[in-house]
Amino acid sequence: MPGIISEVTITSEIRDPRPRGRGPLRGKVTSLEVLCLLLVLALVLQDWLIGVLDAPQLRTASTVFVAVCVQAMPFLVFGVLISGAIAAFVPASALRRLLPKKTALAVPVAGLAGVALPGCECASVPVARRLMQQGVPPAVALSFLLAAPAVNPIVLVATAVAFRDAPMMVPARFVGSLLTAMVMGWLWTRFGKAEWIAERALRKFEEKEGTSRWAVFTETARHDLVEAGGFLVLGGVFAAAFNVLVPTAWMETLGAQIVLGVIVMAFLAVILALCSEADAFVAVSMTALPLLPRLVFLVVGPAVDVKLFALQAGTFGKSFALRFAPATFVVAIASALAAGAVFL
Amino acid sequence: MRRETQNILLILLGGALLKLSFTDMYLRYVKAGLQPLLIAAGAVMILLAGLAIVRDLRAPKEAEEAHGDHEHKSSRSPWMLLLPVLAVFLIAPPALGADTVNRSDRNAAQESKSANGFAALPEGAVIPLSLGEFVTRTAWDDSGSLDDRVVKLTGFVVRKNDATYVARLAISCCAADASPIKVRMTGTGFDSMPTDQWVEVTGKVVPGSATKETAYVPTFTVAEIAPVATPVDTYES
Repeated sequence: MPGIISEVTITSEIRDPRPRGRGPLRGKVTSLEVLCLLLVLALVLQDWLIGVLDAPQLRTASTVFVAVCVQAMPFLVFGVLISGAIAAFVPASALRRLLPKKTALAVPVAGLAGVALPGCECASVPVARRLMQQGVPPAVALSFLLAAPAVNPIVLVATAVAFRDAPMMVPARFVGSLLTAMVMGWLWTRFGKAEWIAERALRKFEEKEGTSRWAVFTETARHDLVEAGGFLVLGGVFAAAFNVLVPTAWMETLGAQIVLGVIVMAFLAVILALCSEADAFVAVSMTALPLLPRLVFLVVGPAVDVKLFALQAGTFGKSFALRFAPATFVVAIASALAAGAVFL
Repeated sequence: MRRETQNILLILLGGALLKLSFTDMYLRYVKAGLQPLLIAAGAVMILLAGLAIVRDLRAPKEAEEAHGDHEHKSSRSPWMLLLPVLAVFLIAPPALGADTVNRSDRNAAQESKSANGFAALPEGAVIPLSLGEFVTRTAWDDSGSLDDRVVKLTGFVVRKNDATYVARLAISCCAADASPIKVRMTGTGFDSMPTDQWVEVTGKVVPGSATKETAYVPTFTVAEIAPVATPVDTYES
């Protein structure tokens, strides 16, 4: 702990004497002072905090919270690095040349391109945003956003390993997720409105004369990491709360009827917010359920869950997330049922 | 939030990830395989923040103009980054235990049926087995290979209703997907063990006790029970 305190003090000492160049800021309490205060308070109240969190339920929740954050951070970092690289090194014209001119054709291409981003859902949000910024039509970027976490090789291999006894789960999941991504892309082409997406999501990093590519790369990545990271943590709080509050055992018994099972599993996928590389192992362990509800669980989870909703609301704005997430939820269930009808 | 504050938060968070991965603490939350990724992520965070700080120091004016304006009114979401930092440095939540086991009625291990049957058990008076293997064998191995063999199991003590179990959690990615593996204990010696205490138990399975009616939780006759230290990696995979 002493390391943290001294670090904060040193940095604020360097920063504070610097003239701000703008009048109104002088004498104002800035976020830097607030941060110092919070850190000191947390240190002083450490014993009290530990005491409060000693109830078994809260202990479980705090462990799950840290686990969700720790598990997702490397993938988010991976995502923001790709996002930064696209901003710095891929000119908008190159992307336009790669994708078919017609949006309706570009949507499935973008969905299939998701195969190339091995990671879970946290990585794909910043990348999709950067694609939009580089002039890729929103419908195409969104279709990539939905497909990438579910159709990449790592997730498919994990699914195959988990469902050794039901190998058809793998193509069913692949087709169900791809279908979700494509249908949502086409729906957005037809009904989506650009103004639903927050203006800040599409604002370009202000590139000035003489800014090196590397500076653009690191600045974009840093900015995305700070913004998206905050929302990821918020999603982790929700996931931990639901993990403790929702009686999973009860939901598993409820799910034994097929119709109810599909609905219950779809909601369970949303509130558990599992990593798409792990959800197959959880689904395979729910042996009380038929395969179809479990397929719904696997298709809905990577497309929409509380963690993703928080990330999307933060990245693209609330009015976008409030429309996009429920629509995705319905489309994902329908796509999973369609894929299940063919493969299972 | 000011750019400087953001950079400090990033450094703190990167530091928290590095601390977790260098002290084995990360095993409470994720699988061992994630360690290199965690180190890389922590390093990248610190590097990105460090580069931004250096850039601001070199050209303070310019940075102020480029980022000063909109970042003051930008969202408050980066404040959330402080939560995991405080959780890791101040609270350091423990690995999951009895509370999580009691949240579900499932017994995870028995669900992964091994397709090629079971390898022969090793020779020896006492066979150490993982809880996962033990439960899977009791549920699927009808050759009775476990009957009359003395087995040693390691796990923590869980109590539900009037029953006492020795249990472990299996994770496939992170602690959020933990599922319980448990064995019910009969006999004596475990009443004095507190809940969540790690123990080594030796004894024999009660043949035919892992059935659909018992939710495939086998019963284990305890001959000997001894408290042991909590292992570094508490989870089975």
